[in-house]
Amino acid sequence: MGWFRGRVLALEGLDMEVHRGEVFGLLGPNGSGKSTAMKMILGLLRPTRGRAEVCGYRAGTIAARRQIGFLPENPYFPNFLSGAELVRYYGRLSGMGGRVLEKRIQELLEMVRLGGEAGKRPLRTYSKGMLQRAGLAGAMVGDPEILMLDEPTAGVDPAGSREIRDLILELRQRGKTVIFSSHLLEQVEDVADRVIILHRGQKLREGRLDDLLTRKKEWEVNVQGLKEEDRKELRGWLEKRGVQVVREGAPRERLEDYFLRSLPEEKRR
Amino acid sequence: MTQSQRKATYGFTGPTAVAIREKLGQGLALAALGGFRGLAANALMLQAHGAWEEQQWVRVRSSLELATLLQPRVAVFWDTASWHLAWNAAVAAERYSGEPSETRRRLEARRWVEAGRSLLERGTKAVPERALLFQRLGDLYWQRLEDYQAAADCYRQAIAKGDAPSYLERFVGYALDKAGDKRGALAYFRELRAQMGTPPNPERRPEVVDREILKLEKELAGQASAKKK
Amino acid sequence: MMGSLRRIGAVAGNTFLEAVRQKVFAVLLVFGLVLIYGANYFTEFSFQEQFKFLKDLGYAAISLTGLLVGLLGATQLIPGEIERRTILTALCRPLRRWEFIVGKYLGLSILLSVMIGVMAVAVAGVLGWKEAQLIAREGSDPAVAALIRAEARDPRLIQAVVLLEVKLAVVAAIAVFFSTVATSTTFVMAMTLMVYLIGHLQSVAREQWLESGEVASWAAKFFLAGVAFLVPDFNLYNLIDEIVAGNAVSWRSTLEVVGYSGVYIAVLLTAASVVFEGRDI
Repeated sequence: MGWFRGRVLALEGLDMEVHRGEVFGLLGPNGSGKSTAMKMILGLLRPTRGRAEVCGYRAGTIAARRQIGFLPENPYFPNFLSGAELVRYYGRLSGMGGRVLEKRIQELLEMVRLGGEAGKRPLRTYSKGMLQRAGLAGAMVGDPEILMLDEPTAGVDPAGSREIRDLILELRQRGKTVIFSSHLLEQVEDVADRVIILHRGQKLREGRLDDLLTRKKEWEVNVQGLKEEDRKELRGWLEKRGVQVVREGAPRERLEDYFLRSLPEEKRR
Repeated sequence: MTQSQRKATYGFTGPTAVAIREKLGQGLALAALGGFRGLAANALMLQAHGAWEEQQWVRVRSSLELATLLQPRVAVFWDTASWHLAWNAAVAAERYSGEPSETRRRLEARRWVEAGRSLLERGTKAVPERALLFQRLGDLYWQRLEDYQAAADCYRQAIAKGDAPSYLERFVGYALDKAGDKRGALAYFRELRAQMGTPPNPERRPEVVDREILKLEKELAGQASAKKK
Repeated sequence: MMGSLRRIGAVAGNTFLEAVRQKVFAVLLVFGLVLIYGANYFTEFSFQEQFKFLKDLGYAAISLTGLLVGLLGATQLIPGEIERRTILTALCRPLRRWEFIVGKYLGLSILLSVMIGVMAVAVAGVLGWKEAQLIAREGSDPAVAALIRAEARDPRLIQAVVLLEVKLAVVAAIAVFFSTVATSTTFVMAMTLMVYLIGHLQSVAREQWLESGEVASWAAKFFLAGVAFLVPDFNLYNLIDEIVAGNAVSWRSTLEVVGYSGVYIAVLLTAASVVFEGRDI
């Protein structure tokens, strides 16, 4: 904090491990310490106590930062640059240059669907989703092992969010490790392998999503074509066997899926 | 130049920050102290010019003195300042219709000429390496004080700097002549002509020097024969 | 080493590009107009005075414009980037913090150099115009014409430009230093201006307190010595006034001032890097 302001304990006793090749979610409400944790891993903040390591290197060192590509929350990019120029700038900051860099820029822009004319326009003409994708391309330019994304879908429309989620899954496919934070929980659920839940600077829970979310004592079966009278019989059969029916009824589709299904084909992208 | 050097040179200390602020007013003081001395001094010269057009001689003098104080190394400031004091102000004082006594008018004019002279003396110490102010001082002695010997000395000093106009070397002789020292003038012109070498540089007007030598020789010969009689 | 240079170059190039695309150069138009107006202002004076006024005006305008651009630019360098949050995506790269500082400063210096160069050419152009005017009016005597030409085409004016550049480079370095320490752009500008003024005043103060013969307290002497050590003596750049006055200024003196400035810039950038290294973003 500043010279004359009070000190705030943003994180306390955080013990966290991320495995190679997984998608790791940092969850928590605003002010829980997610961004602080990310900044400490990047070396932008220094912990008053404790240690962080990235791929065996001490966090904040040049070697550690080479391993990470970072997309901050609501990033503001130098908006006088075009998308391609932004990626080129970050590439040069990562020590790349020449034809190797130019080739990589084209690849990445194609991957985030900002190739061609879109990449040549100045960033101030980009929509929120396009800015995020440009930022992602910039984060990946050095081909880092780890991608850290702070609230990557904040302020992005559902179609754009879906694209970003698809990109995250593709990155996992390629063997990359993705650490991202979000307070939009349904979106985390779609992609994360493991999560950590923070609240007011402290860790509440950590573990595989499946382990955390599965209600092990329950079993769900979705059926089609079950007549009204057969439903009663099924209920009876279950109760006879001592099974407690916790919930019954027609399942609800997620609003997001419904929304996307309602759009014309080309608008879904 | 440090304060003590300034005191030794001019007989007064230079401007302190307080003095500058008092005399210049806030805007100019800020400019002067903030590294834009040139602009502040130029503004003062403009002020002096305006005051001259209105014949406000006291304001002319104070603006000029302040300008030379701020930028003592600008020869042309001292030059203009001495011109305003020893020529313009002095002539205005001589012709001042509001003063019926001619004696008083002449005295006042003389005061202005002296002010110009003392200012120029300070100028020659502030910019000692250039001929201009020595030349101007010589002009002042010649035209305003009719002290031709002093004028000749000043012109000699000017020539020694190396950047004086070429005609000035002849003016030493003219001044000596006008001071009544015809022998001195003749000796000077002969030496000058000898220095010009063979063939002489036409820009130095050797034919004029020759003419002066002839004229002085005739005059001295005439004087000598008049004495014999 | 090459990697460092490449990264510094990337930061510098980006800084320069930002200024260009934000149309910083438009301010030069104002500068040009001021010069042209000034060129016709003092016509009742002697030609030496006219040239002096024009040169003073030109260099003061360059100084002022450079000061403005340098100050505003430097405040954008770090506090501005932190406010806009564009600094995060740069500093998370394998980029050392001192490389960021040096690159930012270099970008600003190059911008200032280009602007000063353009303005100096404009001043030279106006002086040439003035020369033509004056020769048409007063140049029938070849000696006078030669003097007018000498005033307009004085090669020492190049030294004046070099001194101006170097002076503004020092001011920019001071602003960069404060921008690593402070969070507010107003604070950075205020502190830099204060140091600029102190830098001009310190020799006056020194003369007043130490050499006027008054008994100065031990504390005052210590304070002034401290100030003299920490704050560059901007009066050294008054060599520019000497050049405008038409007096001889050797290249050696100019280069000594350049060297002195270089040392200050190096110290300031080192201090800025050290402070920035420990700063939480």
